[in-house]
Amino acid sequence: MSLVNFTAREITCKIVYYGPGRSGKTSNLQYIYGRVPQDRRGKMVSLATASDRTLFFDFLPIDLGSISGFTTKFQLYTVPGQVYYNATRKLVLQGADGVVFVADSQARRFDENMESLQNLQENLLAEGTDIRDMPLVYQYNKQDLPADLIMSPSELDDALNFRSVRSFSSDCLHGSGVFETLKGVSELVLQKLAAGAPA
Amino acid sequence: MRALEPWVEQPLMTFLTESEARLTLLMTSAGQVVAQHGFTRAVDIMSAAALGAAIVSSTEEMARVLGVRPFRALTHQGESHGIFLSAFETPRGRWIGLVVYGQDTSLGLVQLFFDRMVDELTQGVPAEGGTKQVLAQDFESELHSSLRALFGR
Ligand SMILES: Nc1nc2c(ncn2[C@@H]2O[C@H](COP(=O)(O)OP(=O)(O)OP(=O)(O)O)[C@@H](O)[C@H]2O)c(=O)[nH]1
Ligand SMILES: [Mg+2]
Repeated sequence: MSLVNFTAREITCKIVYYGPGRSGKTSNLQYIYGRVPQDRRGKMVSLATASDRTLFFDFLPIDLGSISGFTTKFQLYTVPGQVYYNATRKLVLQGADGVVFVADSQARRFDENMESLQNLQENLLAEGTDIRDMPLVYQYNKQDLPADLIMSPSELDDALNFRSVRSFSSDCLHGSGVFETLKGVSELVLQKLAAGAPA
Repeated sequence: MRALEPWVEQPLMTFLTESEARLTLLMTSAGQVVAQHGFTRAVDIMSAAALGAAIVSSTEEMARVLGVRPFRALTHQGESHGIFLSAFETPRGRWIGLVVYGQDTSLGLVQLFFDRMVDELTQGVPAEGGTKQVLAQDFESELHSSLRALFGR
């Protein structure tokens, strides 16, 4: 849940990058970390296995500066995508204000995307949240791979995006779409806040 | 010291004086900072809070999986510093305290004064207000320019 501090006029929001193993969640944060000036970001915390698979989470705090008179900070988290780590994935999802679902565009990874999406829905529900109430955007990552290996954004929209949430195609290795995705989810999160937050 | 809400300040102040702790961080169970003393960079506090909340939540989950009662507090005794982590219920939800202390005090004292602070905190909670307007509806252009600036575009 977003923390709003009226005395200091500060807002802190938690955004979680969700999706199947190796879809590129950690790569999103790494790219953002590399692009944001040092004085506007904290250290990136990565709890990973020796082979760079996320074990618990990655965490990157960024400072957006002043928005409508509020100092606004985002806390970006990634979950571990591997099916095996559902217990820790649930913990990271707790208290999320917005979710980016990072799908792997490779056709052979389609079932994993589907499974992860269902898992997101279940884990939100276990916390008492209907996925329809959660600010959510999709990111179709790895669109840089050869066309015969991947599904196009419109194919992915048809197959995965039942609720027609905003979707972005991306290549996290080179950064295209990373910024647009973050912007998309930020808008939804702040719109929800603007619609009225508990004081 | 910085506290998100003014009523948290006095109990935290008393705790700091009596326990002689070096760093103290109060956060929600999701790792959002509520109050802190002793940190310098805001962004470092956030990382400490994220890790503290992760340790507490994963330990609680482990207790559940093992079928044992949840641990009341977690401590780590280093050579010159100790770390104390404990979750507690408040009328504002579940909070976590993270305390770093040195050799001028002890775990026993930290635990004792921490428990007192928790009592004070849970008794001193004011009623929550109604719904307030947070951001102007036209915040979008400001959000866009902040994000563009962040990404150097
Ligand atoms: N070609 C290509 N490779 C990518 C892209 N994004 C990520 N990768 C690669 O995919 C692999 C997995 O990326 P990660 O970011 O670690 O994936 P993850 O989603 O964090 O994986 P888990 O931590 O296991 O859940 C790495 O080898 C990345 O370099 C992309 O847009 N295009
Ligand atoms: Mg990862």
